[in-house]
Amino acid sequence: MPDEEPSSGYQLRVVQEVVLALLAKEASHGYQLRARLQLALGPLAEALNAGHVYVTLNRLERAGLVTSKRVGQTDRPDRKVYELTDPGRERVVEWLDDTSWPKPAPAEFHLKLVAAAAAGLSDPERLVDTQRHVVLAGLASAQRAALGEPAGSAAALLLEGVVLRLQADLHWLDACARYWTSRKEH
Amino acid sequence: MGRILLICRLALRDLRRRPGEAALLLLATTAATATLTIALALNGVTGQPFQSTRAATAGPDVVASLAWPGQSEDPADLAGLEALASAPGVAAHSGPYPYTQAVVEANGVTVRAWTQGRGAEAAAVDQPALVEGGWVADGGAVLEASFAQAIGVDAGDAITLGGRSFRVAGVAVTAAADPYPKVCLAPCWFGVGAESRAENGPPRTRPRPERGPPSGPPEEPSFWIGQGGLVWVTEADARGLATRPGSLAYVMNLKLTDPAAAPAFVRAHMPEAESMLFPVAWQDILYGHARVAEWKQTALLGGSWMLGLLALASIAVLVGGRMADQLRRVGLLKAVGGTPGLVAAVLLAQHLAVALVAAAAGLLAGRLVAPLLAEPGIGLIGRADPGPLTLPVAGLVTALALGVAGVATFLPAVRAARTSTVRALADLPRPPRRAGWLIAVSARLPVPLLLGLRWAARRPRRAVLGVAAIAVTVTGIVAALATDARRYAEKAPGDDPRTALGQVLSLVVVMLVAQAVVNAVCVIWAATLEARRSSALARALGATPGQISAGLSAAQVLPALGGALLGIAGGIGLAEILDDDPVAVPPLWQLLAVVLGCVVVIAGLTAVPARLNARRPAGEALRTEPA
Amino acid sequence: MPSESLSSLGPALRTHGLRMRYGQGTGLVNALDGVELEVARGETLAVMGPSGSGKSTLLHLLGGLERPSEGEVWLAGRRIDGLGEKALARLRRQAVGFVFQAFHLMDELTAEENVELPALLAGMSPRAARRRAGELLDRVGLAGRAGHLPSALSGGERQRVAVARALSNEPLVVLADEPTGNLDSAATADVLRLLDSLRETGQTLVIVTHDARVAAIADRLISMRDGSFVEETRLTRGGGRLSELAGLEG
Repeated sequence: MPDEEPSSGYQLRVVQEVVLALLAKEASHGYQLRARLQLALGPLAEALNAGHVYVTLNRLERAGLVTSKRVGQTDRPDRKVYELTDPGRERVVEWLDDTSWPKPAPAEFHLKLVAAAAAGLSDPERLVDTQRHVVLAGLASAQRAALGEPAGSAAALLLEGVVLRLQADLHWLDACARYWTSRKEH
Repeated sequence: MGRILLICRLALRDLRRRPGEAALLLLATTAATATLTIALALNGVTGQPFQSTRAATAGPDVVASLAWPGQSEDPADLAGLEALASAPGVAAHSGPYPYTQAVVEANGVTVRAWTQGRGAEAAAVDQPALVEGGWVADGGAVLEASFAQAIGVDAGDAITLGGRSFRVAGVAVTAAADPYPKVCLAPCWFGVGAESRAENGPPRTRPRPERGPPSGPPEEPSFWIGQGGLVWVTEADARGLATRPGSLAYVMNLKLTDPAAAPAFVRAHMPEAESMLFPVAWQDILYGHARVAEWKQTALLGGSWMLGLLALASIAVLVGGRMADQLRRVGLLKAVGGTPGLVAAVLLAQHLAVALVAAAAGLLAGRLVAPLLAEPGIGLIGRADPGPLTLPVAGLVTALALGVAGVATFLPAVRAARTSTVRALADLPRPPRRAGWLIAVSARLPVPLLLGLRWAARRPRRAVLGVAAIAVTVTGIVAALATDARRYAEKAPGDDPRTALGQVLSLVVVMLVAQAVVNAVCVIWAATLEARRSSALARALGATPGQISAGLSAAQVLPALGGALLGIAGGIGLAEILDDDPVAVPPLWQLLAVVLGCVVVIAGLTAVPARLNARRPAGEALRTEPA
Repeated sequence: MPSESLSSLGPALRTHGLRMRYGQGTGLVNALDGVELEVARGETLAVMGPSGSGKSTLLHLLGGLERPSEGEVWLAGRRIDGLGEKALARLRRQAVGFVFQAFHLMDELTAEENVELPALLAGMSPRAARRRAGELLDRVGLAGRAGHLPSALSGGERQRVAVARALSNEPLVVLADEPTGNLDSAATADVLRLLDSLRETGQTLVIVTHDARVAAIADRLISMRDGSFVEETRLTRGGGRLSELAGLEG
């Protein structure tokens, strides 16, 4: 089992917290945890490779948040069962109480447009158009993924969140376009 | 106060925004008020000329006539007639004068005339007043004025009377007989005497039908009861014309001390059933003269009621259509704090204002037209002034106008006022009605009928109003035709004065048709307005403009057809009720023409807006965002 | 169904130099200003733009509901901008199905009766039209609601009835004008799922919308502003990194 950081992929912090929380009720195998995650993420679980959960578990064990023991199986090699420690339990409670919200993009993009216009490096309108394109493509794939989910699935709810978020971004980009166009006209 | 001012301002502005609609309303209501004014003005129109004729001719209070004194060989009969002259209550008398019936031929017209023998001297009672020429002389006859007019002769003309040549010495009026062709002396009988005999009289030994050939020698009746005129000749000529046995009769004119007591006098002096002595009171003769005017009045009163109903239908449709159109406005009014009462009040105020103007216009128009219709009968002298424009008449006409406007506006106004503000603001009109069976049936019909039936069924109230309007109109037309048909069926030879009714009937018919057209325009306006979106939708779904036009027409024509058929039944029924005589059904071609006319007129009226509607691109009505 | 004039080859829709003006003088509005468009058979095209950008006008012109001030519209290989209203109506019957933002169902007709109406207008027998309506309602998942009046249906259900009605005469193209404009999020998802299934069956579909979610189901996306096309995007299937968009990566 490789014990290295995945070069790209899931934010480890998120996966760590989720894995801890999933262990809060009862001890679990790694593959059970993975199946759970896959169900919640639907098509978004594609990037969640098998090693990802085990890497996370190893880290948590090293940090003393979980413990593991080997359980013998008659017809197969032994499996590791993970269990939450007291510090791990504290960490889960902390996480659930945490109200910080992932920051959306506006500030950085906004400053990028202002700087580009000030420096005459690039046309803000073109930047907006390009960005719109990218966001639109993202929205399209999320929307299609959502349509592919059976109605009422947990993953569909996640995808709806993605779509609505991107829709809001598009509205804001439209506002940006209007603003920078009117600037140019003056 | 401020509230009333606000209502008036809103109402006025609303009227000004829609002048066409206000004009339609005005027209519809004015037609009804004008007709009612005319009908009320004709009230008692004949009374005055009859009274002046009575005064000018020393008109009798009782006319007593006796037939077949010779045939019955009973001198007691003639003595009985003469005895009336000395009966209590009789102030004066003239006669007995001999009379017979003779055939008059003049200008190609052949008609019987009651021919009365008179002396050269003036009679104390009933001295006919000459309007032309001189009094009777041997070989010179005087014709009663309405009779002379009907057969078209004047003083100095030559006529044949009972096969002998006579000169028309003069033309005179009398208050002692009904106008041509309703002259009636014994053995003809009518009035209170006839009633009392019918009520109390013992079974007659000699059956004598009231109107019909009397029982004389069947091959050659000495008197023929039916249409006839009145002629005066000298007594000698009268006796000379009575060639057959039993064809000479006597008439006596009585003046009573109390003219009002004439009917009582007649009842008191009705002789035995076998006797052919008939007294007639002057009130019954007046009734005969008044009948012509009364027919006119009945026709006009009936007409004004119908016009009122039509106006009611028109206004209801207009108001309903406006509601659909204006719901949003009503919602706005309510959203800015107008109470439901205010909304209703604004609508009512508008229509009541129009109604007041219509009442004034109707009174004026009615006053101007009434004298034209109030021509007195030819057989009377003096001018007939229609009743003055009294306060009660003005009040009644105004009440009609206000009542129609109020009733037609009240329900929709209340409904609009009670519509939820949100719904009104969203401009959601009343949801259309659903008639499932009709929708199922229409699926099997060609596309125009499919669309037309469904459109008609969407607004059943409006369809019913349309049906009712056409039914009322056709009822009026058919009743007029039926009355006319009967008038002509029994028309007397020559120019029967009763056909003057035709004038009034055609006036009523013209007004009804005009009013019905106004109503149809209202209905079609409302329907087209409402069908705009659904017809655009039908086009988007593949209906051709031709199918849409035909469908919109069918939506109006089908109810109209139903209304026309109802109206035919209603018209014949109405004629039956209004006319005491048996009714005549108008000829089939006339009925067919009425139905076809309705269909063609409605189809024609619908065609214009329907075509306009179909010519516009369908996209416009379906837009949900501005271009 | 007569189809003598409808070619089965070439693009389903094509426009050339399409212009539409309203008003006169200073009030002149260029609703469309030189639009060039081609829609292949089986393609799903979305036209996106803010309200007032001329999208609805374009859709009305494509379906022959209005006539352009200038330019050409070709539907199934036949030029329609000069056709008379009657010929246009015939063409609409066999080649075009409309879906409107406001649904435009006939309020007094049940779902079933609404769906069968275009077939009846096209002269289909009442029995066949009713059978077809039943099949279509089944297809949009409303077989159990055939006898309901529109007032008894939810917004999403009404629009699904409208889609079924648009399919009544098996049209070459379905033109949808803001099909989810009056719907909430859940109903939007239902209608989008339905439109997406139409796309999968190879139905040619043109959708105008200001909602990127609706546009997302298209094969191709055209952005409009002030009566002109400003941008064209081909939306490929399966593109984009969903997990990144969902905030799981980064």
